[in-house]
Amino acid sequence: MTMWKRKLLDRLFSGSAYGAIAVMAFFLVIVIGPIFLKGIGAYLFEGTIDYRRMMLNQFNRGDEQVLDVEWAEVKQERKIIYDALFAFEKELDNMSSSRRRELKPAFKQTKEAVAILLGPEPGTPLPALPRRLYGQTRWERAELKAKDVLFEESWDYSGAQGKKVMTPRAPLFKGTALEPLFSKVEKDLESLMRPERTFYPQFLTDKSIDAHFFGGIGPEVMGTIYLALGAMLIAVPLGVIAAIYFQEYAKEGFVFSLLRSCVNTLAGVPSVVFGLFGLAFFINTLRVSPGKSVVAGALTLALLVLPTVIRAAEEAIASVPHTYKEAALSLGAGKWRTILTVILPAALPGILTGIVISMGRAAGETAPIIFTAAVSVGPIVLPSEIFTTSTPALSWNLYNICTEHEAVDEIRHVQYGMALTLVMIVLALNTLAIVLRAKVSRKLKG
Amino acid sequence: MNIETPKGKQPETHIEAKGFSIFYGTQEAVKRVDMSIPKGAVTAIIGPSGCGKSTFLRAVNRMNDLIPNCRAAGELLVDGLNVYDAGIDASVLRRRVGMVFQKPNPFPKSIYDNVAYGPRLHQSYAKRELDAVVEESLRGAALWDEVKDRLNKNALGLSGGQAQRLCLARALAVNPEILLMDEPTSALDPKSTSRIEELIVQLKGRYTIAIVTHNMQQAARISDVTAFFYEGVMVEFDATSQLFTRPKEKRTEDYITGRFG
Amino acid sequence: MKQTEQFILSEADLRRRKFFAILGQTFLFAITSVAALAVLAIIFFIARDALPFFSGSRTWAFFTSKEWYPTSATPKFGAAAIFAGSFIVTLTAVLFAVPPGILAAVCLSDLLPFNVRQVVKPVVEILAAIPSVVYGFFALVVLAPFLQDTLGAASGVNALNASIILAIMALPTIVSVSEDALQAAGRELREGSYALGATRAETLLKVVIPSAMSGIFSAVLLGIMRALGETMVVWMASGNAAQIPSPFYNLLQPIRTLTATIAGDMGEADQMTGSAHYHVLFAMGLSLLIFSFLCNLAGEWVVNRQRKRLRGA
Repeated sequence: MTMWKRKLLDRLFSGSAYGAIAVMAFFLVIVIGPIFLKGIGAYLFEGTIDYRRMMLNQFNRGDEQVLDVEWAEVKQERKIIYDALFAFEKELDNMSSSRRRELKPAFKQTKEAVAILLGPEPGTPLPALPRRLYGQTRWERAELKAKDVLFEESWDYSGAQGKKVMTPRAPLFKGTALEPLFSKVEKDLESLMRPERTFYPQFLTDKSIDAHFFGGIGPEVMGTIYLALGAMLIAVPLGVIAAIYFQEYAKEGFVFSLLRSCVNTLAGVPSVVFGLFGLAFFINTLRVSPGKSVVAGALTLALLVLPTVIRAAEEAIASVPHTYKEAALSLGAGKWRTILTVILPAALPGILTGIVISMGRAAGETAPIIFTAAVSVGPIVLPSEIFTTSTPALSWNLYNICTEHEAVDEIRHVQYGMALTLVMIVLALNTLAIVLRAKVSRKLKG
Repeated sequence: MNIETPKGKQPETHIEAKGFSIFYGTQEAVKRVDMSIPKGAVTAIIGPSGCGKSTFLRAVNRMNDLIPNCRAAGELLVDGLNVYDAGIDASVLRRRVGMVFQKPNPFPKSIYDNVAYGPRLHQSYAKRELDAVVEESLRGAALWDEVKDRLNKNALGLSGGQAQRLCLARALAVNPEILLMDEPTSALDPKSTSRIEELIVQLKGRYTIAIVTHNMQQAARISDVTAFFYEGVMVEFDATSQLFTRPKEKRTEDYITGRFG
Repeated sequence: MKQTEQFILSEADLRRRKFFAILGQTFLFAITSVAALAVLAIIFFIARDALPFFSGSRTWAFFTSKEWYPTSATPKFGAAAIFAGSFIVTLTAVLFAVPPGILAAVCLSDLLPFNVRQVVKPVVEILAAIPSVVYGFFALVVLAPFLQDTLGAASGVNALNASIILAIMALPTIVSVSEDALQAAGRELREGSYALGATRAETLLKVVIPSAMSGIFSAVLLGIMRALGETMVVWMASGNAAQIPSPFYNLLQPIRTLTATIAGDMGEADQMTGSAHYHVLFAMGLSLLIFSFLCNLAGEWVVNRQRKRLRGA
């Protein structure tokens, strides 16, 4: 090959290698980016008067007196809407049947849309579902629902693909009592909803109301913490002891290789198979709990992270300089005392790094807990209940509320908020691990 | 200086350093060396650890380019051309200036493929031509008889001495003019060491050889001229016979008599 | 410590010390065995609940029939399409992930200066740490609409969606393990090649990567195992239709994988522990387990062969 061709190959090769790294960074940004940006919206958003009322009624948070004054003002603003609806209903009765047929369905839709936007009319009987007790609590959703009041949505299938068509309702009701409703909603939505910058840190700790329509993700967060901590409480002693055995006591031989192969194989088992095993063994055979429970989930997760803990601990113990051990032994320390007082302390940062990374993994896993611990709805589990009760968890519930939930589009902000919280927990743990590892390498390099 | 070389009393200069320095960051590892390495002769570079002799050697084929923060100043000329010129292509340079390293580093490929690697890079060969090049190189490294029946076996199975000869054959295969050897026998046993030394003596004349060694006796045995480096400075450069019997500098004398090292 | 230390111990002392030493070692061995034997327990219990399914004609139909109607009046358990689904997304994900993975590993080991490496390595680690359900969420709310709008797919959740996400998830594994393998090839090897006048690309392609081949193979194997065993992403992003796409390379059609079937169906199946539906899901779990064992074996075989080769066979 001629020189310039070789140079060209060199350039192309280097370029594609850099490109591969760029692609990975790109994917990181597009996956994490939206989750961060939109997830913040669960904690920091524009909340409406309905949000503040909901907060006061359901969580007892807020200044009742200030809210009463505000609510009275808003009711005054909204009077126009309800008066228009009432007046038009009367008009409808007096209309010709053909005109009535034309307008009644649209009127019903408009009335329904108003109920979704503003909540039940003051003075009417309250609906049963908590989510219908209030109007839109978030300003962005209020704007969206306002569109449902102002426009009728239909689909145009004339082209190759169906296109959404929005036809304004106002012209239909021109000249009727309903007309002022539309201009009020269109032009004056702020005074109807009173949006305000809201900071909601209790999203992390509040329980959820009516399948996450209101409230927070407290039970899920606690569930994740229980499961992750529980898994580590079981896996760390087992793993560290096994690592000590492998590194300090075991001799080469058939049994040693067998044990090693077993640990390596354990590392390769798919996560959903761990879930099956947890169901078949911990719950159905050992009966650690009558059904799904925190303990069963923690045991299953512990098995999942065990190989990682063993590997990290082994590496940490193996990289303790030989000379430390020799010095201790030459001073008369016994084998076990050397391990406890010299080797383990020196290996501690490395072991901690492994523990922290494994904890992040345990917090994020879903498949092992589907059959063993997780439930879609539930209160925060008390420590006394861990042997008997299943628990919500961030990982499982994130799946649940974006696939099996009945109103997936309504609670997007909760989905993003849950995803953000889970990612933050995992990232925090991993950052801690990276920092620990840097400390380790600095210590070892002197 | 007067040196006996196969080419006659006053040999041409093949490699010339003029005020040549090498920096690692701000630290000057090689300090303004002036040296003329003669063509067709064996030049030994001796000195205590860390004196810059390896660094200097690796500058001739620009292997120092692989080290970050390493830069050169001054001139280092091969056949009159400054190897650090902007227009010089390192790959082409390295075909003309070969290197054998301290620790034998055969590729995990067959013996044949190891030797053929270099030639295949730079041009395309018909099978018979390539076979001839491989045989000639292996003969030149005195390895042919030992491996001719197992050319397709993995080179990692060779002993230390054989592996080093393979590396020599590999370097010879691209037909360089200069051979740089960085402590080529320090990892080998005495028997392999003397074989390599025999080879070096055989190869001179055809090649210009520069060898870094911390073994003074080796330098005395095989080289025509010797340079003594100390703390980055080239202290003395003379015909080997002169330098070892009547050194001009006190530091040289102290080193070769073992007062430090 | 006693004041007067004798270094010749009495018989009783010696026996006592030996007793405790053996006790301690046995204790350690027992704990380690628990950890190691867990895997044998897993095989046993999965197999125990899987084998009742494999009776008579059902076995053949399981692997070859595409009729998967587990909840109908006359249930049919033909899982061929589901096996195909797992195979398709795994293969596609690996095809997407291996070339960039190896290139990225090369970049990390040979191209990037030390400072930049310290920044890029965390990027790879963060990609690896993101929980799979979060990737699934991304696949559902970002990638699916994108595939629908831009590529005109009938449904945004399909084989391609799942394959792309699985590839992103497998990348960090492939990159890390390959990078270790490339580093292990050693500085001297690279120097030998450069000294002969090779360019960086030639050194990497002809000497370093071939030398690291067994490590890279392990990396790919680990990537395959990661993609195959992944549950949440495929459950959320693959569309969950038990069918083989026609033509087989039309990735814009939904498919179903073994893992998603287990996760999705066990909720109902468990209501009737002991039902055929329950057992067939364990049968799928057993299949996954056996395949991951085979991958492990392949990995160990390659490592052993490499070890023998380095000793010069």
